[in-house]
Amino acid sequence: MRFAKLKKLPMLLIAGVAATACSTTPPAPPAKPAAAPTPQVVEKPVSPAAAANIANNCFACHGPNGVSPGSIPSLHAFTASNISDMLKAYKSGERASTVMGRHAKGYNNTEIEAISNYIAGLNKK
Amino acid sequence: MSKITRRDFIKLTGAGAATVALGSLGYTTAAHAANGPRVVVVGGGFGGATCAKYLKRADQNIQVTLVEPNTKLVTCPFSNAVIGGMRNIDFITQTYDALRTKHGVNVVHDTVTAIDAAGKKVTLKSGKTLPYDRLVVSPGIDFKWTAIAGYSEQAAAVMPHAWKAGPQTTLLQQKLVAMKDGGLVVIVAPPNPYRCPPGPYERASLIAHYLKTHKPKSKVIILDPKDDFSKKGLFMAGWEKLYPGMIEWVPGAKGGEVVSVNTKTMVVEGKLDKYKAAVVNVIPPQTAGAIALKSGLADDKGWCPVDFKTFESKLHPGIHVIGDASIAGALPKSAYAANSEAKIAASAIVSMFRGEAVADASYVNTCYSLLAPNYGISVAGVYRLTDKGIVPIEGSGGVSPMDASAGFREDEAKYATGWYAGITADSWG
Repeated sequence: MRFAKLKKLPMLLIAGVAATACSTTPPAPPAKPAAAPTPQVVEKPVSPAAAANIANNCFACHGPNGVSPGSIPSLHAFTASNISDMLKAYKSGERASTVMGRHAKGYNNTEIEAISNYIAGLNKK
Repeated sequence: MSKITRRDFIKLTGAGAATVALGSLGYTTAAHAANGPRVVVVGGGFGGATCAKYLKRADQNIQVTLVEPNTKLVTCPFSNAVIGGMRNIDFITQTYDALRTKHGVNVVHDTVTAIDAAGKKVTLKSGKTLPYDRLVVSPGIDFKWTAIAGYSEQAAAVMPHAWKAGPQTTLLQQKLVAMKDGGLVVIVAPPNPYRCPPGPYERASLIAHYLKTHKPKSKVIILDPKDDFSKKGLFMAGWEKLYPGMIEWVPGAKGGEVVSVNTKTMVVEGKLDKYKAAVVNVIPPQTAGAIALKSGLADDKGWCPVDFKTFESKLHPGIHVIGDASIAGALPKSAYAANSEAKIAASAIVSMFRGEAVADASYVNTCYSLLAPNYGISVAGVYRLTDKGIVPIEGSGGVSPMDASAGFREDEAKYATGWYAGITADSWG
């Protein structure tokens, strides 16, 4: 049953994000990691060029600028908060995945916000 | 999106007099003055194609010339599915049309025969020369043809390597089709480091898939100089489940290193045993592509040392080496890593042209392997540059779970195909 759900991933992601947006506080502003669980770790700010360097890696699976030509979900229709909510849920394990949990654990919250803003920003050009 | 002109670039180089800068960079006409700096990319695989595209994506004014001998590129990813009869060769064939028409890359089908690092130009087989401001070398791998006695470029017509995709892929597939039921297929696995660490084991799996369906009395033996390999636990468990008794792996500790092959008798000689095979696939030991060795870009082990933030050669400034040919710390020699390195190199080159600080690098790898059409496994990694080089970020990455359900394996097989569609569109589309 768990994987029957996974097969409907794109639809569920949208539904899940919408529910999250209604029921919880919006994501913290990207500047200060005040609510980080490990306050002794200061997350380094991510410059726009460094954000591009991180986020461009996503497009190898998710397609050019996040427009997927295949079975992997597209990213281009999501807002920045959609993307950061999903990445955080993959990272915590709250959202089941095959590989995204393994990827999301590679980024801190500042980086997740930077990735999300970069990808969402591409759609506004 | 800011654009860089050649005039800006000359200012940024810091030369006092523009004419001196022009002279020293080898520009002899004023025709270039209104244009951006020139980058030549050598090799149109995952690394080269991605780098050319991402340079243009960052700044259309950069003049990018991609030199690749083949008018169509047959990819190594999914070539094992062709060998196993699941896909045809067209499925893994990419063209350069979009790089030309959508992105404005000047694609030249020719071969670079010499790199003049001091003179900042490359010579092509056709006799032409191409000057550059920065050069990107992405030549992939070449083989140590003399490493195994009896093996050679000629022997590959009888015992295909199929480790550069194309006619060799088709040849190996045809040999399996022609083989009688009950035959032995021997795969000679290479020593580290080599292109596509899980590749030989995916190949064994998909050959077994073909044999199980069409020639069930047959067997696959992998002769391996190594005692471990990528995703070993997952492969071994999958083989036990899907192909019990059909695939045997002989590690180095049990005599798996091959000392000789004989293309007339089809005998493969290991350290302890000899094997009489019906089909032999020799994946030879490897080095960086020949042009990298010839141009002094490789170390004494045959691979290219680079700065990890820019992929600029440590041996020849102004030349960036990406993909399988480079020594990239913990990053494997994979299509995904080549694509990732290409983007980091392109970003660094643009920053250098603009006289800006090079941004922090971030690298990713994801490799799917198919054990059967509906059975996929993966390894993923997120990497960062530290004082220890390119290292995986603690807590991230890793392989698919050992205890995953059939549904999970099926999803990963589906995502493997999605990955192929995504990365080829990202590199060539």
